[in-house]
Amino acid sequence: MAEKEIKLNVNRQQYSISISPQKTLLEVLREKLGLTGVKNGCNMGECGACTVLVDNKPVSSCLTMALSVKGKEITTIEGLAVGDKLHPLQEAFIKYGAVECGFCTPGIILTTKALLEENPHPTEEEIRQYLRGNLCRCTGYTKIIEAIVSTVKGLGKGGQLV
Amino acid sequence: MNIIYYHTLPPIADYFCPKTVESAVSLLTRYGKEAQILAGGTDLLVAMRSRKLTPSYLIDITGIVSLDYITAHREGGINIGALTTIRTIELSQVIKEKYLLLYEAAHCMGTIQVNNLATVAGNICRASPSADMACPLYALGSSVKIEGPRQTRIVSLSEFSIGSEKTALKDNELVTEIQVPELAPCSGTAFLRATRVASDLSKTNVSTVVTLKDGVCTDIRIVLGSVAPTLMRAAEAEEIIRGKKIGKTLIEKSAQAASDAAHPRSGSLRATPEYKKVLAKILTEQALTLAFKRANQAGGK
Repeated sequence: MAEKEIKLNVNRQQYSISISPQKTLLEVLREKLGLTGVKNGCNMGECGACTVLVDNKPVSSCLTMALSVKGKEITTIEGLAVGDKLHPLQEAFIKYGAVECGFCTPGIILTTKALLEENPHPTEEEIRQYLRGNLCRCTGYTKIIEAIVSTVKGLGKGGQLV
Repeated sequence: MNIIYYHTLPPIADYFCPKTVESAVSLLTRYGKEAQILAGGTDLLVAMRSRKLTPSYLIDITGIVSLDYITAHREGGINIGALTTIRTIELSQVIKEKYLLLYEAAHCMGTIQVNNLATVAGNICRASPSADMACPLYALGSSVKIEGPRQTRIVSLSEFSIGSEKTALKDNELVTEIQVPELAPCSGTAFLRATRVASDLSKTNVSTVVTLKDGVCTDIRIVLGSVAPTLMRAAEAEEIIRGKKIGKTLIEKSAQAASDAAHPRSGSLRATPEYKKVLAKILTEQALTLAFKRANQAGGK
């Protein structure tokens, strides 16, 4: 059970690390790279708190082996803001009060980012369907949906989602 | 039912990343029962954390890029590569046009995060009694292509699934492709299921494929999930409708026959056997009605 060397590309940065082969991406992000924005909610792919983007696709990092993502572009919530400038989705979530305990928030924002890149003008129904794998125990989802809808409208007026 | 769900995966001895089917098969031949194939991993990792499966070796086949495809077969029908994800199926225009029930199953299954990882072949190989992708594929008369060290074989889904979570796959074999035959003209399909919450395994699911000619049903397949150890083809229910002019009474009778044939186990987490039999009737009736409506729209009047 020797450790394996691996190069991971996370938030446009290269990390060279040595890990046990049975480590998941979730464990490596949090424990080796100190990127604790990604959360362990259920450890079985049902809650979405562990969502990260791999090559721009939302996946459950608790169900992803770290060794399976070498050479892929991984994005965590820490990779969204540019310096002090927050991503439009992050701004909207703050403005609309869509964050209570914040545990589900990184997963929801990353999943929404992927949705809006696939479909810049989703209906509310499409948003809810796309986010069905992201559970929130605090908010009842109302403000989350409002924040996302407002971001979509902002895009509609010619706003740019970086 | 007593399950301890561990926080970490059990230690493994080695992790392989073959780049070809041949090297994956030779790894399987070498390690046999001590190895597991890792594709999406959405089922495997959960099984490993509950220690239901404790492989010493993981064979990560996600690097075999040649297995990710949806192509049209020269005799009609389509071939789906074993690494094609559920999400790819959901987004495929070809599949939505030719096999609507397959799109419907992929659309309501799982979550986006799981569907971006999970493969159709994995769903078939897990052979869960409710297998949400295997159910419509079975109704479509699909087969799997299996590569072994010395031979390639094609097995129909009806023969591939032999028990609850048991398949005819040998330890040194790899499923590489799913072959879906062409549907007859004027066919309609439908997939329906009942769940506890928005994203969940099915309590009961139904796939149906029907073909109409001048209002008469010339071919019909009804497959139910979660009501037997394997996916269940409701043969008696099909016989009631096959060769007859379709109508509401006949559909009701057929749905009742499907429900009578269903023999769900007790002790399921998601529904009692009594409730599953009720769902079998209702869902079959709704699915048949929908499939026939679609067959009509495809010109089967």
